[in-house]
Amino acid sequence: MTEVMTLLKFIEIVAGGIIAGIIGSVTGLGGGSVLVPILTLFYGVPIIFATGASLISTIATSAGSAGTYTKKKIANVKIGVGLEVATTLGAIVGSLTVTVVYKYSLEWVLYLLFGIVILTSIVPTINRGKYEGTKVVKPDFTSRIFQLQGKYYDQNQKKSVEYIGIRWWLGEIIMFFAGMLSGLLGIGSGALKVLGMDWAMNLPMKVTTTTSNFMIGITAATSSSIYWYNGFIQFYLAAATAIGVLIGAIIGSKILLKISNKDVRWVFFAILSYLGVEMALEGLRKGTFISLSGLDRFYIAIVISAILIVSLYVIFRIGERNGQRQ
Amino acid sequence: MDKDNEDLTKVISITLRTAVVVSMFFIVSGVVLMMIKGGGDGYTIAQISSYNTTAPTTLRSNLVPLSNIPSGIMNLDGIYFISLGLWVLIFTPVIVLISAVIDFVVSKNYLYVLLSAIVLTNLTVAIFYIGPYLHLAS
Repeated sequence: MTEVMTLLKFIEIVAGGIIAGIIGSVTGLGGGSVLVPILTLFYGVPIIFATGASLISTIATSAGSAGTYTKKKIANVKIGVGLEVATTLGAIVGSLTVTVVYKYSLEWVLYLLFGIVILTSIVPTINRGKYEGTKVVKPDFTSRIFQLQGKYYDQNQKKSVEYIGIRWWLGEIIMFFAGMLSGLLGIGSGALKVLGMDWAMNLPMKVTTTTSNFMIGITAATSSSIYWYNGFIQFYLAAATAIGVLIGAIIGSKILLKISNKDVRWVFFAILSYLGVEMALEGLRKGTFISLSGLDRFYIAIVISAILIVSLYVIFRIGERNGQRQ
Repeated sequence: MDKDNEDLTKVISITLRTAVVVSMFFIVSGVVLMMIKGGGDGYTIAQISSYNTTAPTTLRSNLVPLSNIPSGIMNLDGIYFISLGLWVLIFTPVIVLISAVIDFVVSKNYLYVLLSAIVLTNLTVAIFYIGPYLHLAS
């Protein structure tokens, strides 16, 4: 009987992993940003094991989907490797910080930080879809030195897109913090990586998302070993989520290459904002700043995230209309 | 330059896929072995699937010495199959980086040889020094 229950529990976690993998892959945030909230809020897994399992599945996501992307020659390996200098350093700092957090039982900080990271990831993710093409910019000195140019074939536009990256140094600074968050929260920090490449370095959205997916694995591998020796990885959970998230990521990367980002984005933003508010509330509750029952937390999170998404949608639509008029 | 990038992405793509398949093979067979045998490494299935962070009986990664992996595999112990699968995953990015370094050396792109060497150093320091050191300190 226990064997059957354990098997069912295992399949249940795999299913959660598949959902997290699809959402993570399509948004470019990585499976971890969705997996950790699902495991902690709905499966009752302690955040220490959830982040450990998430790191492992993040490598699987990255490897699984990067295989698909690099085959289509969209990801820029050179730019990715150059930026990994900062993310791997950040990952070491982050995962060492986390050992201190657990030593002093400050888990609530991680919940709160997690919520904030998800919520602040949403706006850059929304903006990402705005620039399907590339903005024409003047190359700066880093474009030449670090060879920040490339091209890829866009399946939707049916043409080859050429691009030039700028401000390599600013990209590196942002990547350090992306790596640190990755080590702290067991996520790939896809949003910050995208911010670094899209906003700071002016790379096209498709290149940004795919290169980020390729980089995430290297960052996560750096933190994983430190997590391993600290005992933050629980085999049963890590095995189930690695399988689930990988399946989800493969499905997600197939979806991503076929659809234009605009169609599905809002569904994912709604889910993400709900998970973000829930995590932040849980952090405040665990830090004993507020007292809430699980059900209250659920309703409050639904209301706050609904308001958030509706207002973002309105702001975005108005912005889009003004953009068309000009 | 684009030609180089194409060759490199092809190698990386194959490496990643192979590593993921190998890793998943060990993880899935580990889970099957664990379920059939009702446990692994002397732990019951209940202890293996427990989320209790404070109980000393909960099986977590620091309790499994990597040096036991070969003998664990020989004994068809599920836990060690899963461990090996997880470590194949952790090492995948290292292999990718090494293939990138080789490619940069071949194309005489010395700036990127240096950058990828720094990344590789960070990774190996984390895997071989910081982790084991923390383990000894605790």
